[in-house]
Amino acid sequence: MDALERRIADLRAEVRRAVKAREHSLARSLRGELRRMEHEWDRAVGAEELPAPEPEAPLLPIREQVHQALALLGVPAAPKLIVAVNDAFFSRALRGSQFTSLRRDEERSFRSDPYARPYYLCSALTDRLSPARGLLAVSTWAPELRVLGPLSPRVDFLTSAVRVAEHLARLPEPPPGAVRLLTRMAQNIPGAAEGFAPADPVTAIRAARAELEVHRAADAAQRAEVAARAGRLLPDVERLFGAAALGALRGAAC
Amino acid sequence: MRGRLDELRGPVPPRAHDARAIAALAANPGCARRAVLDAAGVDKDLTARHVGFPAPFGQSQFAITRGNVFEALVKENGCAELLRLLRELLGLPIAQVGYQDVESVGSHLRHSHTRALIDRAAREGDDAAVFYDHPLLSLRIAGQTSYLEPDVVAFQVGGRFHIVEIKSFAVIDGQAEPEKVAAAARQAAVYVLALRALLADLGHDPERVSHDVVLVCPENFANRPVATLVDVRRQLAVLRRQLDRMTRVDHLVEELPPGITFDLAPDSEGTPTRPAREVAGALRQVPARYAPDCLSTCDMCMFCRDEARCGGSTDQLGRQVRDQLGGVLGVDEALALAEGAAEPAEGQEEIAQLLRLAHRLREECLG
Ligand code: SF4
Repeated sequence: MDALERRIADLRAEVRRAVKAREHSLARSLRGELRRMEHEWDRAVGAEELPAPEPEAPLLPIREQVHQALALLGVPAAPKLIVAVNDAFFSRALRGSQFTSLRRDEERSFRSDPYARPYYLCSALTDRLSPARGLLAVSTWAPELRVLGPLSPRVDFLTSAVRVAEHLARLPEPPPGAVRLLTRMAQNIPGAAEGFAPADPVTAIRAARAELEVHRAADAAQRAEVAARAGRLLPDVERLFGAAALGALRGAAC
Repeated sequence: MRGRLDELRGPVPPRAHDARAIAALAANPGCARRAVLDAAGVDKDLTARHVGFPAPFGQSQFAITRGNVFEALVKENGCAELLRLLRELLGLPIAQVGYQDVESVGSHLRHSHTRALIDRAAREGDDAAVFYDHPLLSLRIAGQTSYLEPDVVAFQVGGRFHIVEIKSFAVIDGQAEPEKVAAAARQAAVYVLALRALLADLGHDPERVSHDVVLVCPENFANRPVATLVDVRRQLAVLRRQLDRMTRVDHLVEELPPGITFDLAPDSEGTPTRPAREVAGALRQVPARYAPDCLSTCDMCMFCRDEARCGGSTDQLGRQVRDQLGGVLGVDEALALAEGAAEPAEGQEEIAQLLRLAHRLREECLG
């Protein structure tokens, strides 16, 4: 408790400092941390006297929220992007920390009762067939989509930008958070955004597709090769969740 | 020689150096104390604490979090931000976007995997990836292998490798704090050296590693990254000289009184049992060259600062001042000259005049 209180006091001071220095995104992340600590404190205080209250069940289970975001993006994505998409399009506040056990739980569930669920949240596999760090995919996707070649991170980023823009263009009233998300993505695609102005979905799509054209063929060939290798060498569960460290050496390219 | 160095350290395994420690070598090339302690692989951190002068570092949790958040931002989405920066800064062609996370092989294989990937890149050129994330390099220093983790190695920019260093100190209107840039440059130079050693070892031309490193920092307190090229040729030269010197510390060690040792006589738990006074005495036998820069680079800094203050040495005022005060023995003498209480000796006329002028200006301002 004492340590928590000290940490909270420190965080408050840091937030003030960040606000004064006009470091807005830092202040925001610090505030998030502060809220978490205050929450912890509330819980700890309560735990000393009352039994902990049941955590409120979210309307949609986490795995379904993640699945929806991944379905929108259509490619393997990192928790940070999944959180951003949920926030921008569905006004849901997922937290990065909620992802930690997600993939492990999915794997456990698949191992104990394979294919019992309509889909599993799984890994994307590297060209060494190991699970790519920090990326989530959906088991029902084509195998080529669930593996990565060296060009895939860029291709998947461009693809997800196109998907975000397409989704945005379909909404009669685009949520401001979603426009901001697209703008941030577009700023890293040549010709997709003008300076700091909000990105236009049509321009962003055109620019992202233009760059995609440059990489598409080579990426598809590399991914097909990795997917074929995974299909040949790995049992079902590893095809979804990646080969364990030693297994990854088998048939590795170098 | 090895035997003598082992004696100096005592019966514990020598400390390996990380990039920061190696970079610090280049920060104060003239210090014999540091050269000897490092060559012998003495645990300077533990030694400083034992003699009652722990170093004031250890980054705050706040700074570490901030650094990690910024690095993640630069690298997210397949290094999308970094790609934009390199396209703008170095004209990286659109087609070059490959990304390899070296860490995906598991930590025990990272070093050999880095080797294999760099070898392939150097041989095949075009098909190789552009970004190698989480690479692990190594460097032999005074008989020790040190493992080094640059932020990113970028390849393909004109067929050359570039070290990318991501730092979370801000660039404001195109300017960053010079000391921070200098520290980043020294650290990046260590990586350049290690990568060059790797290429040479693999039979490739080491000069394919550029001496221009890409420094990525947040701009104007917003978190938007900007990149600049920093030429680290000077830092490389200093570093090479220092490392060379470390392998030739013989003459420094020979000048030490016989029987001297920095052995802390640790018990089975590793807690030092040798009287701190003895250890401090041994340290004082090796001449130091304290400068305020030491405060951010060397574990011994509080010890050496205290010594410099007590001794009235001009070293504590910084290298620039120390060099200007060349020929003046200490702070007391400098003050005496400034106040006119002492007559300048031969060769001191010029500096005495300057000191008096400074003294007068100060009096006028304050009076
Ligand atoms: S702190 Fe002391 S030992 Fe370290 S470099 Fe400075 S003078 Fe040398």
